[in-house]
Amino acid sequence: MLRMSAMAVTLTCAVLLAAPFAQAKTLTIGFTTSETGKLNADSKPQLLGFELWRDQVNTAGGIKVGSKHYKVALKYYDDQSSAGRVQQLYSRLILQDNADFLFSPYSSGLTATAAVVSEQFGKIMITTGAAEGKTYRLGNKHLFQLYTPADKYLKSALDVIKAKSPKAKIALIYSNDGFSSAVAKGALANAKRMGLHVVFDESYASDTTDFGPIINKIVASGANVLIGGGHYADGSTLARQLHDKKVNLHFISLLVAPDIPKFANLGEAALGVTVPSQWEHSVGYKPDFGVAPSAFTKAFEAKYGNQPGYHAAGGYAAGLVLQHAIEKAGSIKTAAVTKALNGMNAMTFYGRVHFATGAGDHGLQIGHDMVLAQWQKGANNKLVSQVVWPASAQTAPILYPLKTFAH
Amino acid sequence: MYKRPFFWIVLAVIAAFVLVPGISGDVGLRESLLLGAVYIVLASNLNLMIGYTGYVNFGNIAFFGLGGYIGMYLVTALHWSVWLASAVAGASVSLFALLLGLGILRLRGAYFALATIGINEAVKAAVSNFSPFGGASGMYLSFSSFAPLGGPRHALWIIYFAIVVLMGASLLLSLAIKNSKFGLGLFAIREDEDAAIVLGVRAPWYKSAIFALSAFLPAMVGTLYFFKNGVILPEQAFDLTLSIEAIVMLMLGGQGTIFGAAFGAFVYEQFRGFLLVSPLFSQFQLVVAGILLLAIVLFLPGGFMGWVYRKLPRLRKVLE
Repeated sequence: MLRMSAMAVTLTCAVLLAAPFAQAKTLTIGFTTSETGKLNADSKPQLLGFELWRDQVNTAGGIKVGSKHYKVALKYYDDQSSAGRVQQLYSRLILQDNADFLFSPYSSGLTATAAVVSEQFGKIMITTGAAEGKTYRLGNKHLFQLYTPADKYLKSALDVIKAKSPKAKIALIYSNDGFSSAVAKGALANAKRMGLHVVFDESYASDTTDFGPIINKIVASGANVLIGGGHYADGSTLARQLHDKKVNLHFISLLVAPDIPKFANLGEAALGVTVPSQWEHSVGYKPDFGVAPSAFTKAFEAKYGNQPGYHAAGGYAAGLVLQHAIEKAGSIKTAAVTKALNGMNAMTFYGRVHFATGAGDHGLQIGHDMVLAQWQKGANNKLVSQVVWPASAQTAPILYPLKTFAH
Repeated sequence: MYKRPFFWIVLAVIAAFVLVPGISGDVGLRESLLLGAVYIVLASNLNLMIGYTGYVNFGNIAFFGLGGYIGMYLVTALHWSVWLASAVAGASVSLFALLLGLGILRLRGAYFALATIGINEAVKAAVSNFSPFGGASGMYLSFSSFAPLGGPRHALWIIYFAIVVLMGASLLLSLAIKNSKFGLGLFAIREDEDAAIVLGVRAPWYKSAIFALSAFLPAMVGTLYFFKNGVILPEQAFDLTLSIEAIVMLMLGGQGTIFGAAFGAFVYEQFRGFLLVSPLFSQFQLVVAGILLLAIVLFLPGGFMGWVYRKLPRLRKVLE
């Protein structure tokens, strides 16, 4: 009898001790990130966004799936900013690391390469940092894009022009790289559709440092509005040289560069320059689920000591959207989570998230809008970035037209 | 050629590349070996220029990238089979290299090396502005393009086997040239071009021919590789770093030797792959790779095969 009691006590203790371990299931999310190479600066904040989401989910007890809770584990490798090893590493993530879900690498090219593997194994891949829309028009079933597609990047800038001066003469100049070219191509098509007048359309090499000849052509074309750009180096140089040459433009909207805080170091040359952005920390979205924009910003600043940009927000949003879909599906099975993602049309801290579900464009982001931020003078004449478009996210009225130079 | 031991070694290597992942069905191993096979093709064909002829070519990646572009265009726009597209890409790029070679191979030494960097950049710029090739935003392959090969899962295996066959073809091509009169002419050019001309070697023709030959298989592999990737972009196709890495592979294995080129390429790929996923080294994998390469260049200037030949001279007839 005594022996039986001892055995019962031992078994009870064993069950009680084992209980927390039995609950601690893990959900592995695999991806590659560019820890080295030219994409590192953009890829790093995205990784920080993933990690912040993981930490918050795990602190809160994990992802709730029915009666179970899953802790999140991130498994990632360095893709060296090169497509060469992406398929090898994604195969490894799926087969050896047993990743349950995938996030995309940073950049459209690497994402398209990874998508061949994720589709091969039927794994869901939430893509972030991959704006090129072509990838989603190739017949995929498991890709879900968070970024507004590249061909809509300058749509908000065109909306401003249409609203403020529909007869404006637009100069479209852009870096001759894949992303900027795709953006420009989309902008040109949108401008035509909206009845806007593009008087100058030209690309430049991404390492251009002297924009003199191009600026002369812009002036000669009679353009009074400029949209385009590329990345930080060329965009900031272009903005400075436009100011130095006292080119009278009513409106300037450049890709990427003005979204980097150090763009404000250009001083007067930065004033009034706008940038289309996937997300700004000052947006006033009211989310249907998850954190508010201000709560995300606060948590990011507390953890990393700096303000989050849209790359970081995109990383966090990728996790948040996947988590919501899993919880809604009540399952981690691919078919159930895919169904939940296909049916998603919700507002998040990052903006609206709604995926196309047609066979020809599955996973393409159709709900998210770009916001337009503008460098304006704040307290003590210090330059601050304000969201000026659309009205739902606006933090300050737009400066339009910009101050003109006396010649 | 089949009487030479190295011929059978090549066949054994091909068999190992096919059978080991094929029987185990290990996709991770296949992906690793595939990159190894691609690098072996690039290094072996570069060896024809650097090791056999003595001309440093930094632009060999242009052949790989251009082959990829031509092949992907034929597959995506004209809906050709990937096999035919690959063969046509190889022939087209070879012809392009022949015509190019007749012009730039008048240059020697550093001038030729500089010109090849220029060619890579010029081809990249031209492709980036060529609309039928998708311009700067490249070309993307529909997932349905894999359907004729049985869907992505089967297609990736088939492409892998095809690349392994081309790897074997590269090694056998190197062996055939090495043991031919044509090869002797190339070696003569490498040792002293002026003397070779005096002795009757038609140097301009020999150099152009080897330049064109060294473009053929990389261009074919380019088509298959980018078909497998599903996307081709100028910065991926004409990545100068890969050209430089191919030269490093040659130095590692021993330029001028067929086995050395292949060994250097394979070891380099496996080594970088190991460092990337190693929990211990992944954070500073480039530093480790750099230090080891520096050590090899300093202490084994003839590469791995130079050291092997010095220690075991008899192996020279086996591992060519």
